[in-house]
Amino acid sequence: MIRDFFYEAWFLSLRTLRRFFRVPANWIGIILFPLIQLFVFSQLFKDIIQLPGFRSSGSGSYLAYLAPGQIAFTAFFAVAWSGSAILVEYRNGYMDKLRATPIYRTSILVGELAPLFIESAIMAGGILALSVVLGATIKTGLIGAALILVLSGLFGMAWAGTSFVPALLTKSEQATGTLSLLFFPIAFMSTAFVPPALMPRWLQTVNSWNPITFLIEAIRPLMVSGYDWAAIGKALVAIAVLGLVLQSATLWAFRRLTA
Amino acid sequence: MPSSVIEVENLVKVYSGGTRAVDGISFHVGAGELLGFLGPNGAGKTTTIRILATLLAATSGAARVAGFDVTTQASDVRRRLGLAMQTPTLDTFATGRENIELIGRMHRVPRAELKRRTDELLELMGLTAVARKLAGTYSGGMRRRLDLACALVHRPQVLILDEPTEGLDPQSRIALWDELERISQDGTTMLLTTHYMEEADRLCNRVAIIDNGRIVVDGSPADLKAGIGADTVTLQLDANGPEDLARQQEDVRGLLRGFGSLESVTPEPFGVRLAIRDAGRAIPELMRRLDGNGRVVHVIGLAVGQPSLDDVFVKYTGRRIRAEAADQPIILGW
Repeated sequence: MIRDFFYEAWFLSLRTLRRFFRVPANWIGIILFPLIQLFVFSQLFKDIIQLPGFRSSGSGSYLAYLAPGQIAFTAFFAVAWSGSAILVEYRNGYMDKLRATPIYRTSILVGELAPLFIESAIMAGGILALSVVLGATIKTGLIGAALILVLSGLFGMAWAGTSFVPALLTKSEQATGTLSLLFFPIAFMSTAFVPPALMPRWLQTVNSWNPITFLIEAIRPLMVSGYDWAAIGKALVAIAVLGLVLQSATLWAFRRLTA
Repeated sequence: MPSSVIEVENLVKVYSGGTRAVDGISFHVGAGELLGFLGPNGAGKTTTIRILATLLAATSGAARVAGFDVTTQASDVRRRLGLAMQTPTLDTFATGRENIELIGRMHRVPRAELKRRTDELLELMGLTAVARKLAGTYSGGMRRRLDLACALVHRPQVLILDEPTEGLDPQSRIALWDELERISQDGTTMLLTTHYMEEADRLCNRVAIIDNGRIVVDGSPADLKAGIGADTVTLQLDANGPEDLARQQEDVRGLLRGFGSLESVTPEPFGVRLAIRDAGRAIPELMRRLDGNGRVVHVIGLAVGQPSLDDVFVKYTGRRIRAEAADQPIILGW
């Protein structure tokens, strides 16, 4: 039974990855936006690093401060509209074609969600590599880089719920697109651009709950100082809680749709 | 093995808006039989098919496919069922081969067998040359054939096709008919829906005419046509506007009153349509009648046709499925 489930989810996941990578626009868009931010802001606000709040982050340049945030942004972008794909196939009947085969219904959903780990990790890896090209460093080397990709992938998979739930509930790509914009402020309010010390108190409070901030603060030491297991642990807990809540909701919405 | 591969008893589907899409349908399809559901759009054909394919729950009634209940034994049904819906549903970012293989894997076709079967189906559907191209680049006819190949990959016992030739050009349609005939001859039990008379006539052992969620009549195309009894004679009238046409149509009715083998006179936009038994013999006398008595009926064309499924449809539903001429008319002009 478990074997059947993995067999189905595996082949459906391969299909989903194919669908994603065969359309270059899918990943070019995801990479380009964080790259532009990384490139432009690191030049534009180069001297912001002189402000006292930055010193504790250990980043030597604003680029080094900015890079972890943009890696997290990439994982965020990679899944921001991910629910649309399943919606398209619900509408055009491909999901029915799969449902008429003797597979677990949940395999269809897992086949859409699991590949998002790979997609987010690879996209985040692209920005990580490009930020190194621009001058950032990875203090913890290849193992640290791998850890960054895993964290980004896990975050992407969990965060995808913010797109899947609206998609499955509204059954409208347009509504899904518009609703995902609502989550953008959460990314922009994070510690991607400035450290908490420079934020107003209310924003500091927001950020003690912001899952994107947890992700960024786990990535940053890996790049600028060294392993900070407490930060990594906190990020994993945040991702697990987020994933549990959002993906339970996704599963519920999926069952409701295909009932 | 049950004699009926598809058994449907008193099936009802009421959608949440209150629409009774299927209103007490019962029918059986025997092993190896090819049953056609003939009816206009919105008659309930697709709803019935979706229930049989385990995609939709019926409101009441029972349906069994290959001996398994579609609600309580859905996966047993799915294992034995091939399905192609009204518009081909393909993964457009996968190649032709990948499309067939994925569905095969979901049906647990063993790896070696899957490779062989996929090659065979690509060949059969004339897709070998484009097997490595993305399905999104395929033409309408190629998509249909690929969709059909997906439905056949696990050698299903039952094949259900919703409007299999909808939207195809005549050439592709005829090619697909040949294909479906071959599949049917291999012993696959088939249920297809169509609103094309020729399609039902050509392919089906048995036709069920469905209208407003009910089966109005069910039988072999030959029996159904024989049930009509009469041939169709269409008279084309040369009229000076709609009023003149209406007057001439009335005159035809008047002139033919009491004509022995005449069964009905139906006004049509081009003239009248007569149902006459043994039309070939009756025509000379018919023409003499129309000539007479000072009433002016301008007949400019006459066609005699054998009864068609279209006539069967008219007889049982009181209207035509779509405007079509009687099939293979013999035109006698003068």
